[in-house]
Parts: sequence; C-alpha cells; structure tokens
Amino acid sequence: MININFRDARPIYEQVRDGFRQLILTGALPADSRLPSVRELAGQLAINPNTIQRAYRELEQEGYICSAPGRGSFVRRGDAAVLARRAELLERWDALSGELKQLGLTEEELCRRLKGETHD
Amino acid sequence: MIEVRDLVKSFDGLRALDGLRLTVPTGAVYGLVGPNGAGKSTLIRHLAGILRQDSGSVTVDGEPVYENPAVKRRIAYIPDEPMIYSQASIRDIRRLYRELYPSFDPERWEKLAPAFGLDEKRPIRKLSKGQQKQAAFWLALALTPELVILDEPVDGLDPVMRRQVWSLLLSDVAERGTTVLVSSHNLRELEDVCDHVGIMHRGKLLLERSLCELQENLVKVQLALPEGAELPEGLDILHESRTGRLRQLILRGKSEELTATLQKAGPLFMDTLPLNLEEIFIYELGGADHEVQNILL
Repeated sequence: MININFRDARPIYEQVRDGFRQLILTGALPADSRLPSVRELAGQLAINPNTIQRAYRELEQEGYICSAPGRGSFVRRGDAAVLARRAELLERWDALSGELKQLGLTEEELCRRLKGETHD
Repeated sequence: MIEVRDLVKSFDGLRALDGLRLTVPTGAVYGLVGPNGAGKSTLIRHLAGILRQDSGSVTVDGEPVYENPAVKRRIAYIPDEPMIYSQASIRDIRRLYRELYPSFDPERWEKLAPAFGLDEKRPIRKLSKGQQKQAAFWLALALTPELVILDEPVDGLDPVMRRQVWSLLLSDVAERGTTVLVSSHNLRELEDVCDHVGIMHRGKLLLERSLCELQENLVKVQLALPEGAELPEGLDILHESRTGRLRQLILRGKSEELTATLQKAGPLFMDTLPLNLEEIFIYELGGADHEVQNILL
C-alpha cells in the first residue's frame, strides 16, 4: 500500500504521510475505509511504530483521517474531493505566482491582485 | 527503562567506558552508534548484567542489573558472537530457556517457527553463522521480553532475513511496548527503525536525542539573494557554504518559521531540503570536520 524508499531524502514519517495523502486524494482509499493499524504497518514496512504514529497524527490534524479509539483510523467522509481539488489548484497557483515573481512582480502586487485591487 | 550513570570500566589500565551516561525511555527503539572500539559492546555487557562496573550505576526500572535474576529474566540479549553450548540443538536451548525465563511462551515459539524455517533438532554448531543468529532471534522473541538488547544484530543476516527480524521486533514494539536497544557502527542501518539515537565515542556518549526532535529542529535551505541583499538577523546558522550567488545554509529552527523569515530578504530562489540522519548528526556534533565524519561512517 505504502512504499518506503530508503534513497528518498524525505524522513520516513513524511513518506508515510504523503503516501496516504495521495491514496486518499485519488480515491484509492475511499471515505470510511480503515487504515492499517500501526502494528500491521510497522511489521509490514519494518519501520518504527512511533514513526507511523506520527504520520497518522499529522494526517488527523490535516483532516484526512479520524481515529476511533480502540477501532482504528478511518478516512474522513466528504472532505476528500474538496481537499484534492484544493491541493491541485494551489499547486498550480504556486507555479504561476512563482513565475510571475520571476518576471518582476512583487509579492505586494500579487497580494493586491488577489484582493481585487488592481485592474489591468 | 534503562538508566546508566557515570559508568566507568577499565581493562588492564585501558578505560573502555569513561563516565558514560545514557537514558533509554520505556517503549523506545534506541540505536547506539559508534566506531569500532568506542565501547558499545562493553556497555551492552553491563546492561545485560555480564560485566560489573568499576564505578557508576546501571539500572533497569530503577533496579541494578548485575547479579539480579529478577531483572535479567525480563531482558533478552543477543550478543554479537553467539555464546551458546555448541553441542546443543535449538530444541535443547529452548528447554533451557523455558526453565530460566518464566515469560517463555511456547505458543509464540510455535507461531514464529515458519518465519525462520530452522530445524529444531540440528546442533547449533552445524548451523551457519547467519542461521545461528536467526535461532537467537527466535529464542529471544519467544521470551516475550520487556527489554531486548541487540549487539550488531543484523551482522551475518541476509537482507530478506534482516527485514523479517525487524518486522517481527517492531510489531512487538507496537503491540506490547517492548523497549529495544540496538548497537551498530552504521547510522544508516538504524535510521528507519530507531526513534532514539545515542552516539558513542571513546567510552563516552557524545549525544543522545529523539529523532522526532532532531528532524524538526534542523533545516537545510538553498537560496540565492538579490545583489546587495543580506540574510535577516537572528538566524541560528550552523553551517554556510556559497557557490557564486547560491548559498546553502544549515539552520536551527522550525522549517515554516525559517522560510517566513528568509522570505523577508526577497530571495530570487529558495528551496528547503530535508537532512538525512547522518547530516543531522554531523552538524549537531559541531561541524563537518573529518573527525566527526569518521565517527559516523
């Protein structure tokens, strides 16, 4: 389900977190489906359980999953599609605004535009 | 779980351990790293109750380990060299362990059998080095120990068995909160399994940290500033290198806060990069000089 690449420079908890994020955003893990338990995943990937716990904690804070004590962690209902679209658009926004900055626009100008204060 | 205070041990006038202090919290997977001859195995033999210290204290849950069967029966220890009666078969050792360790779980022993696929009737001396190590893991895991002490554990194991062994151990950590202390001369080997790391050098512990706090507190940033611009004040810079306009900084602090501060300088380009464990320790130990790098590699 999740792949850990030891050549990847990202810390392992980030790889686990990002892996699940992607599975949830693409719908591979639909709403209400149960994530593997910390024990299962620690055994499967041969990585430290605290690392997995930490990835799950961040996913919960970010609203991707919720955990029911004693039953496990589940993908949150409803938010997934919105989150996916939002993330996708923000990525495009980052690329665009970055390019505009390189072309000489300042952050202030970009902010003004965002607030609808410029018309050109 | 483990507390070591001001531990000193000399062999024939050579100070193998020189006032060492170390703390392993319960439920941690603690990696002990250091070059050959740093004193790792000597420390571990104190933790397992084999050696008696010249001075200082070694306790597990507040109890001294040396000559204390009540504490030692909760500990599984796998030495770097197998120290078992070589005439005995795995089954003989299993019988011995059942006598010595009240926590030995026969059901678990049976359950683990397919993971190793060893013949119980074979004499230990007829097993290969790697198979002897596997047998040691099989026995240790069947003890359902509270503390597992491993001295260079994956030496001699093939990559598949290495993974198998870690997978079993880490499931135990998740399920029962087993504490693990593992030594290695290779930091990279421990990076994915440990949550605490201690670095040993010449009989002392140079540094002891939880990985979580380590990864959050150091950031590598690459950036190019416009002509004449200076870095903002108040940055805690551990290391800086420059190639033309491009600077590479190692900074102490939280990634988001640092990027926000650096943005104020109006960089032409900025990128934050993750640090691997080796880099983190090199900078934490005070710079990229050769001596430090030699300790870690």
